[in-house]
Amino acid sequence: MRFKKSISIIAMLISLTTYAQEKLIALTIDSELKDNANAVVRLRETQIEFSSYNKMITKGKRVVTVLNASGRRNVGAHLSYDNEINIKKLGAIIYDALGNEIKKFKKNDFTDESAISSFSLYEDSRVKYLDYTPVSYPYTVEFYYETITNNTAYIPQWMPLQNYYVSTEKSIFKLIYDESVGINKKMNNLGNHDIEEINTPGQLLYIGSNIKAIKPEAYSPRFKDLVPYLQVTLNKFSYEGYTSETNDWKTMGKWMYDELLADRTQLSIKTQDEIKRLINGIQDPIEKAKIVYNYVQENTRYISIQEGIGGIQPILASKVDEVKYGDCKGLTNYTKALLDVVGVESYYTRVYASENNTVDVDKDFVSFVGQTNHVILNIPNEKEDLWLECTSQTSPFNYSANFTDDRDVFVITPEGGKIVHTKEYKTEDNLQSTKAKVSVDVSGNIFSEIKIDSEGTQYGNHNMIENASEKDKKLYYKNYLSDINNLEIVSLSHSNDKEKIVFSETIKIKGNKYASKAGIRLLFAPNMFNKTTNVPPRYTSRKLPFKIERGFTDIDEYEITLPETLEVEALMKPVSIDNQFGSYSASIEKNSENKLVYKRKLILNKGDYKKEDYKAFRDFYLKIVKHDKSKIALKTIQ
Amino acid sequence: MKKLILVALVLLFNLSFSQDYKFGKVSKEELAEKSYNNDSTVHAAVLYKECKIHYDYVQDEGFKKFVEVFERIKIYKKEGFNWGTKIENLYDENATREEKLLNLKAYTYNLESGKIKESKLKKNGIFKEETNKYWNQYKFTMPNLKEGSIIEYRYVIESPLIELDDDIFQYTIPIKKLSYQLKVPEYFRINKVLNTRASYVPEITERNKSRKFLVSYHSAFANGTANASTKFSKENLVERTYDIIETIYEADLQNIPALKTEAYVDNIGNYRAVAKWEITSIKGFDGSVTEYSTDWDQVTRSIYNRDDFGRELSKTNYYEEDIKSKLKGVNAPEEKVAIIYNYVKSKVKWNGLRGYTSELGVKKAYKEGAGNVADINLMLTSMLRYAGLDANPVLVSTRNNGIPIFPNTSGFNYVITGVSLESGFILLDATNKYASANILQENTINWKGRVIKGNGTSAWIPLTPQTKSKEIALMSVEINDDLSISGKIRKQFTEYKALGYRDAYYNVKNETIVKHFEEGKGEIEITNFTVNNKESLNKPISYTYDYTLNNEVEEIGDKLYISPLLFLAPDDNPFKQDSRTYPIDFIYPTYSKYSVTVKIPEGYAVESLPENAKIQLNGSDGEFSYIIKSSGNTLQVMVTKDLNKTLILPNEYSEFKQFFQLSFEKQLDKIVLKKA
Repeated sequence: MRFKKSISIIAMLISLTTYAQEKLIALTIDSELKDNANAVVRLRETQIEFSSYNKMITKGKRVVTVLNASGRRNVGAHLSYDNEINIKKLGAIIYDALGNEIKKFKKNDFTDESAISSFSLYEDSRVKYLDYTPVSYPYTVEFYYETITNNTAYIPQWMPLQNYYVSTEKSIFKLIYDESVGINKKMNNLGNHDIEEINTPGQLLYIGSNIKAIKPEAYSPRFKDLVPYLQVTLNKFSYEGYTSETNDWKTMGKWMYDELLADRTQLSIKTQDEIKRLINGIQDPIEKAKIVYNYVQENTRYISIQEGIGGIQPILASKVDEVKYGDCKGLTNYTKALLDVVGVESYYTRVYASENNTVDVDKDFVSFVGQTNHVILNIPNEKEDLWLECTSQTSPFNYSANFTDDRDVFVITPEGGKIVHTKEYKTEDNLQSTKAKVSVDVSGNIFSEIKIDSEGTQYGNHNMIENASEKDKKLYYKNYLSDINNLEIVSLSHSNDKEKIVFSETIKIKGNKYASKAGIRLLFAPNMFNKTTNVPPRYTSRKLPFKIERGFTDIDEYEITLPETLEVEALMKPVSIDNQFGSYSASIEKNSENKLVYKRKLILNKGDYKKEDYKAFRDFYLKIVKHDKSKIALKTIQ
Repeated sequence: MKKLILVALVLLFNLSFSQDYKFGKVSKEELAEKSYNNDSTVHAAVLYKECKIHYDYVQDEGFKKFVEVFERIKIYKKEGFNWGTKIENLYDENATREEKLLNLKAYTYNLESGKIKESKLKKNGIFKEETNKYWNQYKFTMPNLKEGSIIEYRYVIESPLIELDDDIFQYTIPIKKLSYQLKVPEYFRINKVLNTRASYVPEITERNKSRKFLVSYHSAFANGTANASTKFSKENLVERTYDIIETIYEADLQNIPALKTEAYVDNIGNYRAVAKWEITSIKGFDGSVTEYSTDWDQVTRSIYNRDDFGRELSKTNYYEEDIKSKLKGVNAPEEKVAIIYNYVKSKVKWNGLRGYTSELGVKKAYKEGAGNVADINLMLTSMLRYAGLDANPVLVSTRNNGIPIFPNTSGFNYVITGVSLESGFILLDATNKYASANILQENTINWKGRVIKGNGTSAWIPLTPQTKSKEIALMSVEINDDLSISGKIRKQFTEYKALGYRDAYYNVKNETIVKHFEEGKGEIEITNFTVNNKESLNKPISYTYDYTLNNEVEEIGDKLYISPLLFLAPDDNPFKQDSRTYPIDFIYPTYSKYSVTVKIPEGYAVESLPENAKIQLNGSDGEFSYIIKSSGNTLQVMVTKDLNKTLILPNEYSEFKQFFQLSFEKQLDKIVLKKA
């Protein structure tokens, strides 16, 4: 059996080199691979060889046919590097649609630039990329490279489908390793793609063939959750001179604590005394932590500097104490150091932070790097653990919504590491409550005082207005209440309760001719301040499942006073909708002769849903939009 | 005791304390300050900025420019922390053309229990990044920053580039005091121009002063015998002190307001308080004078005389055969223009780079099929000339480049082609695949163009489009028994509106376009979408589709209410600001016409119709009209919008906003139907 396999491998490799030539001809692409594709990866070969646990040689080749201008970004002819990565070989060849060579690029023809992230002040990462303007489409780019590095902690993941609108004809991943070192691997989202796995001792070989392009759809999960990818690590690796031998999260955490974190929390006696003075007389550890967090917010700022091991290891707490700035690692470690001084237990925690998706650290796949992009601080607590975002100077204590909430993270303790789930902001906690008193005059003008209280994730959607200039605030409310024509902001104020984590806004407005005239009637939509207007797009056949990452609740209550000369001709009927996605109710009632009360409640549930349910989801929204714009008719009393 | 009295007096008169603008002399009062002129929205302010520029002669290297920078910045709020990081981009082509940042000293000052505590910027806070082949970025970030901190830094930039950068007198935060000095030795003649479009224009004085100028140079230069074989060694090195006159430009400015951008401003830089300097001539020690551009005519001529402009324009041999065969049997000039223009567009693709000088050379660009703006449009001009047409390059400045405030070569950054035909003058730009005659990229419709004739003479030409870009819509609306609506629509776009459509949708599948059109239109389904004249770039583009729409007819009580324009009406008035500081530029005049036919459902009759209306903006600057007619069971609605004025000045804004507001509201007016 084994014998047979190796023959097939040899046959495979031979056939690859011989039919590689035809990969350069754009015209031969199977039409199925062109569906929804702006570019086709004709061939992608990645060979990674470990001559030892601390030497990784990567040889890569990509042949990509670009079908149109949008596909240019998928050529992928760029190579990131830093001081630790030695580029041995780099080049590219451009072919026209018939496979004729048009242009050749050697290593020095690549543009070399700093590859600093937008949020950083300094990084040592650089990139070499191919700058080529296509003459016509389709065209094909053959790109090849070879690199050597002593950093073996991160092995590039194999993703046979690289992006939306890109298909893959053939993608091969080969990894050669020392059996005595061993590897750890995990294949994700295999699905029913044509992926062959031919593994032999000391070698992994994966071949993906004819994988069709997919298109993004609204509310779909993130791309990586939809496509197959392979994660691999060495059981013993080297990183910037450090060596680790770990294969479970506990020992990984122990190693990281001992090698990279321990002894980095010393602080000067002066700072220790200062922080002790601040918590003097306070016993409750959470109260102490609040004071420390506030101290960090008041005294430091976030500056990202990533260089060498500094990309992984925090700078010394004493260093942060001296310059009063740091990146997420430095500030988190500094906060921990201060908490140590006052006797509050806390742990350095690595997390994948992202606003749009809640991304977990994989419980079942242990890796040193590649799964996280941020560091926060965990304070264990009997009731519910606390999570501190140490890079923000303004965030409330223990507020992690919209960034590091509701996901598995890697908590590092002196005893070892563990995977812990961060706070989930629940549908009922993510509350936006809008209360208003409104008076309408005979010309259809409205005058109102609106009060909006936001909590949970919705706090984060509202509080950013706090420090804007007066002019920008006015413009913000004009856009927020864009449904009201000719809006005049009479006055506005907010209060930010960071203790309860509630942001309250009070806005006084005048809306000229909000109610529209239709002959002798005034038409008036009672949902003035929180109309849903956008409907999820329509798909004739939905291909992908969908997801609501965080649930929320909106409550609206408006008391409407009419002038005595107007009477109600018609009111809309109350509605109440309840389904798996959430619920919606709206009603308007006459309270007294000239007073109406409008009430509305919208709840959207967090959840993963099947593509078959998308139509029902969209219908739910269509109904909400319909009812939100429902009008009542007012008539002049004759 | 004396001190106390003094402090008391200062407090009593509520005067601003006397400030010491020496480096390191930060006062407790400055540190204690909680806000800038009681304005809580100012997150940081420059308390003092000093910029001193002078030239010296450095042996074997020639003139060098020294820019001394000193800034004192107060941080009031956390939001102002980014002012604690400073970035300087310095040129670095090679060892002899390298700008250096020297003598950097920087401190943060904080008030701690009544005492000033200073924290020095150390090496670990200073970074140098090689951005690319030509540029380095020096960055430093200040330690110990808190709300209330003051930072100070000073450094010198030594530069072999003698040209002067724009001197910026305005930041996005206020500047309390600014002291500026530029010393120009008599060897340079210099032109100063201030940005008069800025809302703040600094006053710069000018005086002359003599100074001793030490120059060391090789004697072979002095006696004019230097040639290629001259050996430069210590022996023939001469040191001389000259008494020279320097012109000193100075400014001492207070309370410079912050520069704030607003919506619909394409380039806020056009409104910044800036001084621009241009060296118009340099006199050598041997008495020779090199003239640089002084007026637009000379600027244009110096561009024309460049090898990478004039010479590239005159090359013809690389395309002669191809053009000859393309034009075989073609006589009409318009036809020749069309053939050559389309040929260049299909043959050479734009690589995304701007500039009026050829980057690759026209020949190479032609061969490789890609080039920068000049490669493409100089080639186009040359081919048109070769075909016997009166074609000339036209220099322009893109919106990003701004409007030059004095004649200089960097006032332009783009070149297009102008052709004089009997039927009129047309402008061409072959870099955009979907553009056509007289349809330029919006970014290049800025200020005016300078056309260069064959003999090197030049003249201004207007770039602002004169013809209206039109949007014509025909729509039928049929209300069905279930109160859904179905109908057809046909829309046609001309000129820039057509270009806008092609730019957005040329390569997009109909299925995706439909998805996009459905967005924001409520419960709609669009079918039978077809596009006409997609390829014929000189013709208007049009599309048609059928639609069905739910929930647009409102049934309240026993009446039906419907706004007949449906989704043709805009979502809201985009002009929300109460007032403006800067103009709004629409670039081209527009005209829209919507004709809507509404079929009244059986069993219903009209109860009331919107009133007809005509709204005018300042006479003929703009006009909106709304006419509705009923005949039998159909209603005919006709809406026209005419906007002739393309530049709305701040003092015209409120009237303009009102015009938009009223016409917007009118488009939402409802028809009321009752049971018949």
